[in-house]
Amino acid sequence: MCKKKFLSIFLLVSFMLYPMYIYAAKAGSAENNKLCLQCHLDKTMTKKLLNKEILSLYINGSEFAASVHGKVSCSGCHIDINMDNHPQSKRIQSRSEYALSVSRNCSICHTEAQLNQRQPIHKALAAKGPCIECHGSHYIRPTAINKAGVQENAYCLTCHRNKISMRMQNGEALSVYVDENSFASSVHAKLLCKDCHSEFSKTQHPVRSFNSRRAYTITASELCGKCHKEAAKLYEMSVHIDQLKGGNEKAPSCVDCHGDHSIASPKKDKNIGIVSCNKCHSDMSPSYEASMHGKARIKGNEKAPACSSCHNAHNVESAKMTTKIKDGCLKCHKDAAKLHTKWLYNPPVKLSTFSIAHFDAVSCAACHSPNAERGIYLTLTSRKTNKPISDDELTKIFGIEPDVLIKKLDSDSDGMISQKEMWNIFAQLFKHGVRVTFTGNMDVQKATEAHMIASKAEGVKDCDKCHKPDAELFQNVFIVIKKSDGKPLIIPAKKEVLISVYSIIPMSKFYVLGSTSVKLLDIIFIVALIGGIAVPIGHISFRIITSPIRALRRMGKGGKK
Amino acid sequence: MTRIFLHPLPIRIWHWVNALAFIILILTGAQIKLGNAIHFFSFQTAVKIHSWLGWLLVFNYFIWVIYYFSTGNIKIYIPPLHRPVEFAKKALRQAKFYGWGIMVGDENPHHSTFENKFNPMQQVSYLMIMVALIPLQLITGMLLWDPKLFEPVVNLAGGLQIIDLIHVFLWIFFSAFIIVHFYLATLGHTPMAHITAMFTGYEELHDDHGHGHGESHEHGHEEHSESHAQDKSHSH
Repeated sequence: MCKKKFLSIFLLVSFMLYPMYIYAAKAGSAENNKLCLQCHLDKTMTKKLLNKEILSLYINGSEFAASVHGKVSCSGCHIDINMDNHPQSKRIQSRSEYALSVSRNCSICHTEAQLNQRQPIHKALAAKGPCIECHGSHYIRPTAINKAGVQENAYCLTCHRNKISMRMQNGEALSVYVDENSFASSVHAKLLCKDCHSEFSKTQHPVRSFNSRRAYTITASELCGKCHKEAAKLYEMSVHIDQLKGGNEKAPSCVDCHGDHSIASPKKDKNIGIVSCNKCHSDMSPSYEASMHGKARIKGNEKAPACSSCHNAHNVESAKMTTKIKDGCLKCHKDAAKLHTKWLYNPPVKLSTFSIAHFDAVSCAACHSPNAERGIYLTLTSRKTNKPISDDELTKIFGIEPDVLIKKLDSDSDGMISQKEMWNIFAQLFKHGVRVTFTGNMDVQKATEAHMIASKAEGVKDCDKCHKPDAELFQNVFIVIKKSDGKPLIIPAKKEVLISVYSIIPMSKFYVLGSTSVKLLDIIFIVALIGGIAVPIGHISFRIITSPIRALRRMGKGGKK
Repeated sequence: MTRIFLHPLPIRIWHWVNALAFIILILTGAQIKLGNAIHFFSFQTAVKIHSWLGWLLVFNYFIWVIYYFSTGNIKIYIPPLHRPVEFAKKALRQAKFYGWGIMVGDENPHHSTFENKFNPMQQVSYLMIMVALIPLQLITGMLLWDPKLFEPVVNLAGGLQIIDLIHVFLWIFFSAFIIVHFYLATLGHTPMAHITAMFTGYEELHDDHGHGHGESHEHGHEEHSESHAQDKSHSH
């Protein structure tokens, strides 16, 4: 036991003293350096490398002597040089290759464990970067001193201008290379690296660990909100952040659209609102390009709407879950409400509010994409907040597991919500103290068709298409519930939900003249008419039957008179 | 034959504008609501006529309001509810007359005068119609006419579907009512007596009719009414 303990202490002490031993060994040879400097003090001494680069072999003796390696012999680092056959002809490809090969010799004294302990960033750098890049070659000083006069960004670029990368926990390599030129031409050119990468500076370089490249990108995007507060606030309301939070790592963060170091000003990059969207939504591109808007843009009209013009840049919402897309249309078509009153009005006056009443319930595309297939979307909405109720909220209210929610809503599991099922959803939520309403709107069914905006002349102007029982555009009805990831849960509904007595209360805010008329009322109308006609017919009949009595009385036979 | 003045000019104008507008509104309303079963007009035409006449009715209603409230004659619509038993008995007698008395040649228990134009049943029903149902129909019509303009009121009522429900129920009621109303208008001493009176303002009284107005001389209605009628006729 005692023997073992002694051995451990001996080994530990030996390990600690080893670098000192090496240093002493080299120091002992410091006198030999004079021999080397006899030649290398010559400023004109150079070597032509294979790539035609010229490598200076000049050493400033006094500066070297003043460096931390001043007492280390030349051969301590240049272990491959043997004075017996020096100078010999060595084939060196390039300066960078030479720097890298010489840097490997640093590890003779500066072991990996030691470097990592002093400054953990060495771990990531040592694999790629030559030591001399940061510390210099012969006049070795700590980087902070070596680069004391260097501007902050230049300091960072010392390493990051190289194609260095960072290893992720899942084994992926993330490039941490910064293209100086593209950064210099970016909108952020005047910023310091630490303005965004606030944890880093000339004196601080923490080592961080990320699961994946994507995890790093998402985290890095959070830095943007430090300055771009308004955009970050809007982004927090978007379907994209909901998707990210819901676990969809493909959903975009700031850098996915704007890039990282080569960020362009959206004022200059007029196509950012299309190009960045197309990275994921390229399936929308053909229909957009076929639209009035797309054609105008292709012709070079930079003011023609891009994706972000209608869907917004940051607070992008699910098209089925928002009525804000029309705000995008109205940004350009400012007079739309007034212009629609040319034909869309109720006499005796033409009011914009009447157009707006239609805009509230009908998406622009529903009329202006003339060949699109339309649907009536009834969104389950809280009466209190006026916002859609999510599937998560529903499962909590009902106290059920998420996977049985559909079964709960579509109780007969026929894949369609009937008028009774609609009433049951309303009534059950009412029992739980939740007041809801199904807010309705008409929209195109396929997103691709929504983009095929045609010319004004092709828009739907025929009132009968909507305002008539069993109207052409009221054949497809859907119940919409917001999913917690921001996307809609769309369940087909029977078209009878629009005209059922069961729907009057649950759907009290959605009314379309003619097409949401409750059928039962038509029957009551017919009955009332028959009743109204029956009263005079019955009364006249009795009067005819009783006319002899009146005749008798008038003649004084049996009457009061 | 004597004449009794019942309907002053503003009320005759109001009545006939009301009658025509109501009939056309009922028909255009039916066209709007039952567009796949009725084809009187196109949807657009029906809506435009409906809107114009709806607003005409709103202004027309004010003729009625201004006339009756400025003259104080609104009292003819107010049932004497401070004498409920007597009023109930009169109403029952009136109902009995229409149900049976009219068949056997009884005298109409109510004798219309300018100050007491309506029988108890008319009083209750016209009061309801004029102060509740027509205003409600006009207001719901206005809300449907531009739901965005009146959005706060629509929301207060619980939504446009509820507004429409009220409007449609009243449409059903008025459709049936107007048929019965027209029939009852033929129950004067001659079928045209009440209707003519609504044009001329004067109702002719005949001593020998079975169930018409003012058959009896016992109450002195005729003379009073006649003198009043003459007074009124001068004023017109």
